[in-house]
Amino acid sequence: MNAPKSIALLPTGLHDLLPPDAAHEAAMIERLMATFAAHGYDRVKPPLIEFEDSLLAGPGVATAQQTFRLMDPVSQRMMGVRGDITLQVARIATSRLTNVARPLRLSYAGQVLRVKGSQLRPERQFAQAGVELIGSAEPAADTEMVLLAAEALNGLGVRRLSIDLTVPTLVTTLCLVSGLDAARTAALRAAADRRDADAVAAVGGAAAALVIKLMAASGPAARALPLLAALDLPGEAANAERSRLAEVVRRVAAVDPTLQLTIDPVEHRSFEYQTGVSFTLFAHGVSGELGRGGRYRAGYDDPDGDPSTGFTLYLDTVLEAAPGPALARRVFLPLGVATAAGVRLRSEGWITIAALGAVDDPAAEARRLGCGYVLLDGVPVSAEQ
Amino acid sequence: MSLSLSSADALVLALPKGRILSEVRPLLGLAGIEPEAAFDDPESRLLRFATNIPNLSLIRVRSFDVATFVAFGAAHLGVAGNDVLMEFDYPEIYAPLDLRIGRCRLAVAEPEDMVEGDDPARWSHVRVATKYPEITRRHFAARGVQAECIKLNGAMELAPTLGLCRRIVDLVSSGATLKANGLVEIEHIADISSRLIVNRAALKTRPDDLTGWIERFRMATDAL
Repeated sequence: MNAPKSIALLPTGLHDLLPPDAAHEAAMIERLMATFAAHGYDRVKPPLIEFEDSLLAGPGVATAQQTFRLMDPVSQRMMGVRGDITLQVARIATSRLTNVARPLRLSYAGQVLRVKGSQLRPERQFAQAGVELIGSAEPAADTEMVLLAAEALNGLGVRRLSIDLTVPTLVTTLCLVSGLDAARTAALRAAADRRDADAVAAVGGAAAALVIKLMAASGPAARALPLLAALDLPGEAANAERSRLAEVVRRVAAVDPTLQLTIDPVEHRSFEYQTGVSFTLFAHGVSGELGRGGRYRAGYDDPDGDPSTGFTLYLDTVLEAAPGPALARRVFLPLGVATAAGVRLRSEGWITIAALGAVDDPAAEARRLGCGYVLLDGVPVSAEQ
Repeated sequence: MSLSLSSADALVLALPKGRILSEVRPLLGLAGIEPEAAFDDPESRLLRFATNIPNLSLIRVRSFDVATFVAFGAAHLGVAGNDVLMEFDYPEIYAPLDLRIGRCRLAVAEPEDMVEGDDPARWSHVRVATKYPEITRRHFAARGVQAECIKLNGAMELAPTLGLCRRIVDLVSSGATLKANGLVEIEHIADISSRLIVNRAALKTRPDDLTGWIERFRMATDAL
């Protein structure tokens, strides 16, 4: 069959961003980057495509199933299109910027491409913007990430932000200490991911009781932290992670008591390469995540790699949570308006749409061209009927 | 009673139509939820019902759709069997409470006369009629058998008798339907019961509201 296909049809998960949304997204990214820059984060720009073995090295292996591959005809090596920018920035920090003084603050914004969308984010291409703070293990660094994410989102007009903090390594550590094998750990993880206490009890063996108590110690930080603190956790590592989490919550709450903080010590999905305090950003009434971040170790093959933390924002969800684009101040200039009048209006921030011919009803023509205003007698007046 | 439609603080509880609904109904009362009269009228064409709780409304949808509504955040809470949760495996759904109702099991069945000469260890491929293609594929793949699933939405028991395929994967409660159709349960896949499910983002952004409801249902379940 050779039925003509519409040239407008795009592959699943890809779409054209049209006016005014395209300009809106670009403006929002610029505002985020300005907030990051004001806090001393310098922008870097990694390439869209890298060699597969460096893109997927170490923790990058978690993104392997989501990575588009193509063959480089020049080097005859496999290349991958990035599905996430964080690890590229970590690569830059530990290679080309290895001699720059720590802590190193870097920011980035760019498009990523994934093989498959998820249920909540069917988009396969979307924009990410974020920061990485490389070379500090201090709780102040974890705190800075949470507060900066909140400030950046508030700056875009996102209201009723809710930040969920976790230590994704906690359950893994408990499983190790309890001597669970890999299969049982996976089953326990799956049950805990559903917050299904009965299933956890059924598969969890020695770790079950504690994991159920961890699940109960979740919710608003003020209520959940004392519950978490009261638990008898085995091993030094788990105790250290727990006190770090409490410390970060305390510091964030001290700076911004209005921020809604929740904790969830069993959250670990999509935190595959995180090694410490991590967080997910939500907004009231928005079903997807606005972003996520957390502590990791840059320089994957080096156990002494830089202790780092960072976060990334997903622009598609952020735009859903933020107010839409403000109506542009577009003014229609009927034929015969002096050039100087246009210059003056543009310098005042107006967008001017000049007539290319005479029209009977300038106000109607303004509306037809999407202008809220029309210039009459040298003054922009509303073109509304 | 009026519906507080699409207000930012509205809560929606999705309930499955049919068999489970009559078992959930007493739990609603015990949890302090009194739906408007139309809810108990099977003839009512309404799909969304107000309750005595000003910001809480109920919706009545197909059992598979309960999970979809909750996964996408269109409903904040729901009641769904773990058969549905296993089939979709939505990461956005938490299932914190077993309501201990709607109990049954998910099983593989085949015609009685086939059982004798059948050695499941020799299978490399099976054709199965089911409402649960994902669970079925996973179940057989785990033991190295490729399952070709024929998706049916009901009356699975007819498939073997009419020669559509020889095996089915379906919910079994008493086993009477299987028996009446000359089928025998040969493998147990999972025990099923209904769960209270919540949307992940709703639980994170409105922890007090949502945990409050989970606790009320926990008490109702214990009281039943």
